[in-house]
Amino acid sequence: MLEINVLDATTEAHIAKKKKTIHPLLQGLLTACLLFGLWQLIVVVFAFPPFILPSPHAVMMKLILRIDVLLFHTWITTQEIVLGLILGLTMGLFFALQMLLFEPLKRWLLPILIASQAIPVFAIAPILMLWLGYGIASKVVMAALIIFFPVTTCCYDGLRSTPSGYIDLAKTMSASKWQTLRHIRLPAALPALASGIRVAVVVAPIGAVVGEWVGSSAGLGYLMLQANARMMIDEMFAALFILALFSITLYFITDRLLKRAIHWQL
Amino acid sequence: MHSQTRTGSIAKKGWLALLLSGLSLNASAEQKSVTLMLDWFVNPNHGPIVIAQEKGYFNDQGLNVVIQEPADPSMPAKLVAANKIDLAISYQTSLTIDVAENLPLIRASTLIATPLNTLMVLDNGKIHSLADLKGKKIGIAIAGNEEATVGTMLESAGITFDDVEIINVGWALSSSLASGKVDAIWGGLRNFESNQLAIEGYKAKAFYPEEHGVPSYDELIVVANANHYDADAIRRFNKAIEKATIYIINHPQDAWIEFAAYSPDTLNNELNKRAWRDTLTRFDLRPAAVDLERYDQFTQFLYKNKIIRSKPKASDFVPTL
Repeated sequence: MLEINVLDATTEAHIAKKKKTIHPLLQGLLTACLLFGLWQLIVVVFAFPPFILPSPHAVMMKLILRIDVLLFHTWITTQEIVLGLILGLTMGLFFALQMLLFEPLKRWLLPILIASQAIPVFAIAPILMLWLGYGIASKVVMAALIIFFPVTTCCYDGLRSTPSGYIDLAKTMSASKWQTLRHIRLPAALPALASGIRVAVVVAPIGAVVGEWVGSSAGLGYLMLQANARMMIDEMFAALFILALFSITLYFITDRLLKRAIHWQL
Repeated sequence: MHSQTRTGSIAKKGWLALLLSGLSLNASAEQKSVTLMLDWFVNPNHGPIVIAQEKGYFNDQGLNVVIQEPADPSMPAKLVAANKIDLAISYQTSLTIDVAENLPLIRASTLIATPLNTLMVLDNGKIHSLADLKGKKIGIAIAGNEEATVGTMLESAGITFDDVEIINVGWALSSSLASGKVDAIWGGLRNFESNQLAIEGYKAKAFYPEEHGVPSYDELIVVANANHYDADAIRRFNKAIEKATIYIINHPQDAWIEFAAYSPDTLNNELNKRAWRDTLTRFDLRPAAVDLERYDQFTQFLYKNKIIRSKPKASDFVPTL
């Protein structure tokens, strides 16, 4: 009886797993269709004029007609996001390591870390523009700044919460501080860091776009402002759509890469 | 016995309250409530509105005007088009763009009938004429008309829009110019940004669009919903605005004191005092007056410069009320 139950459960799990693996793409497509349907329904039911909420059809048409312009601005924003991610991740990792290795330093760094998150990016953005100019640097720093906190805290928490058994083992084997870090603490911290990176890739575009909003001559944020000023709300939504699509794609690529790179879990 | 008296007195008070509320209801029934959203935080450009409110001119016209302030100047006109508010401050440039994109809007009155916008540079000997802007950076607060306005001004000096680098600097116009991050700004008002820079110790030099090929236009107007506007209320609104404008022109000093008293924390400072002085000559003395040809000429200007894709006729969105 028990055996049969176990068998049933495994078969069910197997089927469920099989079901899941059959159509992840189809699932995504279905979600998209559902969202678009809902969007169209809202436009029709509430009779929103196009300057309040354009129909998905109008937005898709804009997407096709203005794809060259949209892609140009997407490319600019992509550069800002990617460079911002590299800078933010490096800074986050560096800060987390400093806080772990030099305990007294933590007390000094922690307020800076919290302040980086507590100050609204919108408030600091215009000042950053004046310091760093209206080029790409200010947007990269904005994107880095917005991901700095989640990356640092996730990494630091990961580094701190190494299972004590491993540390004891390292001590028993008389490993140096560096060896413990390299072979024990860092690998053990990676799953936590991965969570930080997943958050980072989703929020980094916000930093870049906020930067473009307050000072830029290109990028999706700039395009959105232009479209808004000319009452081309469909074009603004087309830019938003691309930004959302970009974030989703970036998230899944990162997720896949991270899963492949960090195949262990503690 | 005691409690009965108390109940009686409460009942009496209740009747009195009911009577009073009935009276006040009666009073407010005569007053038409109008919501008006400014284009930005209250500033000297809104002088006639503030004075009409402070001196009770709206009330005299049977209007109860509720003034709201947004933080995004592109919002108020949209809210009027969506029929969420009655009136909003906008600009002729924006109204033309909005109407060309089928937003149901009309111009209801004019507050400032000439351009206030300028192409502003620092008066430090580096830029003498518009032609000197070739290869330079121009900071803008995106309003959607820059290619037409700035482009025409540059063309009047023999260079083109592509010869300069346009940068959106948001609302940091003065600081971006003062810090040298940009060489010129478009969107700085001649009555405001020049004073702001002067207070910070920078002398500014302004090139006026209407002197460099751009047809003159109304800088500040009031818009209403094309399908739901109350012509009678707008007429009364304009009467109050006109009376306030005349008062301001006749008594500039008293008017300044009353204006600053509207919101002393934000208005009573050196910048607004100077801006007030420079705005006095700009207020439209006839806010209800309509000049259709002037509107059509400006629409043609925007159309020719590919800012708008259709050419709405002034007679359709500038009604004589």
